[in-house]
Amino acid sequence: LYLDKAQEDLLRGEGGEAKQFAMEILAKVGDAVGADSLVPIVSAHVLAHFSSLHQAGVEVLERFAKSGGRFSVPTTVDPASIDLRNWEGFGIKEDYARMQFRLCEAYAKLGGIQCWTCVQYQVCNFPKAGEVVAWAESSSVVFANSVIGCRSNKITSGTDIAGAILGLTPRFGMLLDENRKAQVKYSADFGEFDDLDYRSLGYYIGKTAGSRLPGLAGLPSDVSSDQVKHLGAAAASSGPVTMVHLPGITPGSKTATKSTETMETVHVSRADLQAVEEDLNQTEESPDLVALGVPHLSVNELGLLAKGLQGRKLKGSVRMFVYTSRQASEMADRSGITADIESSGARITADTDAEISPLKEMGFNVVMTNSAKLAEIVSSEGEIKMRYAPIKKIIEETTRK
Amino acid sequence: VKRFNGRPLIGGRVQGAPLCSSRAFTFAHGVDPETGNVTDVRSDMLGKNVKGTVLYYPFGKGSTTASAWFLEAVRLDNAPVAILTSSVDLAAVIGSVLADEIYGRKIPVIAGLPLGADKVLSSSSLAHVDGTNGEVNLD
Repeated sequence: LYLDKAQEDLLRGEGGEAKQFAMEILAKVGDAVGADSLVPIVSAHVLAHFSSLHQAGVEVLERFAKSGGRFSVPTTVDPASIDLRNWEGFGIKEDYARMQFRLCEAYAKLGGIQCWTCVQYQVCNFPKAGEVVAWAESSSVVFANSVIGCRSNKITSGTDIAGAILGLTPRFGMLLDENRKAQVKYSADFGEFDDLDYRSLGYYIGKTAGSRLPGLAGLPSDVSSDQVKHLGAAAASSGPVTMVHLPGITPGSKTATKSTETMETVHVSRADLQAVEEDLNQTEESPDLVALGVPHLSVNELGLLAKGLQGRKLKGSVRMFVYTSRQASEMADRSGITADIESSGARITADTDAEISPLKEMGFNVVMTNSAKLAEIVSSEGEIKMRYAPIKKIIEETTRK
Repeated sequence: VKRFNGRPLIGGRVQGAPLCSSRAFTFAHGVDPETGNVTDVRSDMLGKNVKGTVLYYPFGKGSTTASAWFLEAVRLDNAPVAILTSSVDLAAVIGSVLADEIYGRKIPVIAGLPLGADKVLSSSSLAHVDGTNGEVNLD
């Protein structure tokens, strides 16, 4: 790893303690991955939620903030572990909330943008094709590389803050042209797609591609950016995927399509998707919580959900939490969408997301979702049983007219 | 005596009983930092404890928060004493850098072990790890 004079100075501590610590981290990572240099980024996206960072992560973030660290590029942040305005109403204990607020405070001190969403690319962080970013949050990295065409590696917690402070990232992996070509081609051969199929297909790709970069043919021509968002999130949750070549969508994907003609083609059948569903759907018990929005739903998706819930009420004691960004939730408020959704008994919650909130402590034992990412993460822990089903089935089963 | 020569990523000399997986592994939702127990139901180490072990897995998977989960295990003194992998797992590298900086704990990390190293490692009762030159010696 080559460091220029200014970077060497920072490593020696001439830019202060925070920058020295940040440079130590980037230099170690750069060495470990065989990067040749550190290059500038146009934005960072970092993690500051208590459920994953724990007390150790609070101490790391506070160390950066107290030692004079400041973000040097526009920096956005993933969801918190609690709804930052309404946490008490969602049954969060005060001790838990206090730890999250310590993270919020340190993040604010570092100069971060207060977005608290995992779909920053739909809310407040808009790089263009070809630019280099350093984003944590695996689902957003897939979106960045596959749809926007900007370049990001999947940035590990710790490195995210260091990169945001220095405005630099090690040059390796997805930043290099030679690593951005498809190496295995998937072909979706199962006909019609419902909402679950995008997630199950993504999950299947993540599970089977290994370290090869997947290309994917056979998506419907009218596939939405939201559907691609969920496909990518699922792929990143089940494997090391950081990009999926989507012919006609990924900038420059024409050439990749050509080169995929000579590589292994994996035909994905309905049976493959059913196997994913069986893996992620662990029980037939009735859910006590329906969780929608991992990753965060866009305001457009909230509108579609409002239509699906029209004239329906939640059955019995089942709860339905709808996770989104505060920006989308405020837009939904002003558009009448929130009122439509909440008249069913469902609740919209912002600034947080299901997979990083303390669902068990909030009293839930069986959670139903159409998110493969949520199902994968929660079922791995084994404390909560997951139901995994398409939105149509979820609404039919958990609501009545 | 058996020996592996890997790629040294984080220095330090330790020894411990090997604990091995043949599958992709992550600390995130995969290890309870408060006990060191492996909790990932998809792991072949489910129910084992990582504390004090020389941990080998071929490659990382999943969440970018794995470094933070690893660091919390360090803070609570439930971490492995060394981490060995085949592919570089950045979570191990970052977690170890932070462990040194924040808690003054040196946890060597070595990558580049051959796939299938778990079979050799798990037949040994003690592994001596030198993270500075990338050497692993087995009793």
